[in-house]
Amino acid sequence: MRCEDLDDLIEAVVAGDPLPAEADAHVAACASCQARVDLARAMERLLLARETPDPPVHFTLQVMRRVSQERWRVEQFVDVGFNLALGAGVLVVLGGVAGLLWSLGWFSIDVAALTTATATVAPWTARLMSEAQTLVLAALLLSSALALWWWMEGGGEPSL
Amino acid sequence: MDETPERVLVARCREGDEQAFRELVDRYKGLVFALVARTIQDAGRAEEVAQDVFVRVYRGLPSFRGDSRVSTWIYRITVNLLAAERRLPATEPLEGTGEVPRQFGSPDRAFDELTLRDRMEKALRRLPTNYQVLINGHYLKGMRYEDLAEALGLPIGTVKTHLHRAKRQLRHLLETEYR
Repeated sequence: MRCEDLDDLIEAVVAGDPLPAEADAHVAACASCQARVDLARAMERLLLARETPDPPVHFTLQVMRRVSQERWRVEQFVDVGFNLALGAGVLVVLGGVAGLLWSLGWFSIDVAALTTATATVAPWTARLMSEAQTLVLAALLLSSALALWWWMEGGGEPSL
Repeated sequence: MDETPERVLVARCREGDEQAFRELVDRYKGLVFALVARTIQDAGRAEEVAQDVFVRVYRGLPSFRGDSRVSTWIYRITVNLLAAERRLPATEPLEGTGEVPRQFGSPDRAFDELTLRDRMEKALRRLPTNYQVLINGHYLKGMRYEDLAEALGLPIGTVKTHLHRAKRQLRHLLETEYR
C-alpha cells in the first residue's frame, strides 16, 4: 500500500471504522501516515467541538428595524407613484372636458389674445432661459441642503 | 408552548403580520447567524450579513411559493449572500501565529490543539464557499443533510461526496502547512 491510498480510507478511520489489515500495517509502520491519521482525528474532534456563535441580543430588533425601513421605502415609492398617476389622471380628465367643451363650441381659444399674451411674456421667458442654468443649480443646492437637514433631523427614520 | 406551523407562519408574514415575521426571525436566527459567523471572520460584518438574509427573506416573502421548506429557502439565501461576500478579498495567511509546530502530536497537546484550531479556522476560510458552507453547516446542530442539499441545489448523495472532498481539501491544507 502507498501513502496516497490512505486518502480514500481516512474518512472511514475518522468515523471509527476499522482499517483493512494492509492499511493498518502501513499506518503502524509509516510515521507520516500515522501523523495524517492523528491530524484527521484531531480535526474531526475540533470540528465537532467548534463553538456555535450566538446572535447578538438585539439581533431580532435590528432586523425588525431594517424591515420597517424597507417597508417605509416601499410605501414612499408607492405613494409617489400613486400621486403621479393621480396627477396624470386629473390632467387627462381636464383635457377631455376641455376637448369636449371645445368640440361643442362652448369653449374657444382666442388666438389673437394668445399671441398678445405670448408676446408679452416672451422677453421674460428669454431672460429666464438665459439664467436657467444658474436657477437650476441654485434649486439643486437648496434641495440638497433641505434634504440634508431633514435627514439630520431624523426625518428618514421611520418608527417601529 | 407549541410552535406555529411553518406554513401558517409564512401565511401570516405574507399578510403583513409583524409579530409573525419576528417569530420567523427568532426561529431561524440561530442557525443563520452561526453559519454566517463561522464563514465571515469580522463579527460586525457577519451580523450585517445575517441581518441582510432576513431583509431579503422579508422582500421575497410575497413571491415565496412554498415549493420548498421555508428553512431551505432561508439557507439558500444565506449561501447566496455568503458567496457574494466571498468575492471580497479576505484571505489570511495560515502562517500568522508565530511559532509553528512541525508535527502534530508533540507532548504539549493542549497547545497543539489550540494552534491547530486557529489554523483550521484560517484554512477553512480558504476553501471555496460551497465547501465552507458544507463544513460549517454539517457541524451545526439542527442543520440536516436535506437542508444543505436544497440550499446548495445538490442531491443528498452529492452533498455527502462534496463534504468528503471539502474535508479532504481542508486536511490537505493543514497537512501541507504542517510539513
